[in-house]
Amino acid sequence: MRRFPWAVLLALLAGLGVGLLISWGIAPVRFVDTTPNTLRADFKTQMRSAIAAAYAADDNLPRARARLSLLGDTDSYQALSAQAQQMLAAGETSARIHQVAQLAADLQQPPPQTAAIATPPPTFTSSAPPPTRPNIPTTIVTLTETILPDQVITPPATISTATPRPTHTPTSAPGKPFELVAQEPLCQTDLQDGLMQVILTDSHRRQLAGVEIIVSWDGGEDHFFSGLKPELGNGYADFVMQPGILYNVRVADGAPVPNVSAPACTAADGTTFTGAIRLSFQQP
Amino acid sequence: MPRWLPPLLALILGISLGLIYGWVISPVQYVDTTPDTLRADYRADYVLMVAEAYQREQDGDLAVRRLAILGSQPPGQIAAQGLADARKFGFADSDLSLIQKLTTAMQAWQPSTQGIKP
Repeated sequence: MRRFPWAVLLALLAGLGVGLLISWGIAPVRFVDTTPNTLRADFKTQMRSAIAAAYAADDNLPRARARLSLLGDTDSYQALSAQAQQMLAAGETSARIHQVAQLAADLQQPPPQTAAIATPPPTFTSSAPPPTRPNIPTTIVTLTETILPDQVITPPATISTATPRPTHTPTSAPGKPFELVAQEPLCQTDLQDGLMQVILTDSHRRQLAGVEIIVSWDGGEDHFFSGLKPELGNGYADFVMQPGILYNVRVADGAPVPNVSAPACTAADGTTFTGAIRLSFQQP
Repeated sequence: MPRWLPPLLALILGISLGLIYGWVISPVQYVDTTPDTLRADYRADYVLMVAEAYQREQDGDLAVRRLAILGSQPPGQIAAQGLADARKFGFADSDLSLIQKLTTAMQAWQPSTQGIKP
């Protein structure tokens, strides 16, 4: 009867151990040519900020889209929107928050029809996959969304309200200060009770995203941005008021609008309910 | 067959299996990488982003902070490397021009007098 080959088995196990030691510890696979989707979350955040800053400079939305796609976010719009809120909470400058919020809002625009300008393909000597660096379209995307006079904005039934923030973040929105041009009570039962709709436009009546709005009341203050609900308009933002409370509303560096409150409305059947209000601000 | 041969062959087989498992079947996973490990074309594109933003903002300190995530080298060196990579990968002339301007600005940037803001 032959002896069990213990020596062979031990040598095999020892060899396996040595192999794993080499491959996992001494000389692991080195990823020196990584792609942006493998970046740590905080670096992805910085990349998004850089993409937004570059977009603010060149207005090249296809290029920004291509860059964002490299990060592997399942929803770039959501990622940017969340980042804008986090930056606000972290006390970042309004200019940088505006860049991120603006890009988030502009991502909701349909992709342009123009083709990207062909850039000579890079030559690679490694076995890495072909580069996916976005070729650079030079199309300048211009937002031309205009509010129609009779436009009624009906937000979805569930509206999340921003959490009140104890500290004030100074702002300085680009352009001239916003002025209130219309304040309309909206007695519509399909709107959330006490909803304050804010519409921001520039001097050409184009809606503006990424502008900070500050709502304050006795004992509280809240900050939020336009454009975070682009399905309702790039310049749209909303806030839910409580009945009987007077609010001051200020848009960026504009003058505050005092004593804004939810209107009392009467339905067709005679019952009363708390209505909504729409504030339209425009840059002169 | 010598008595030492089977254990030696088993040892070699074991090492081979270990290497195959560790390098091919289950290699070390890098999921939280840092920007300095990015492939050169991605690094160059990031430098281009910084250059685009710098062109508009003209904020040298901010550009330095942005470039700093690509490594610990001086910002001028990082930008110059980005410019070299951008040329290598055939970036458009307009983009090369932007990176060139950034590189020039970063090489002139002096940390002793324009320290990085926290």
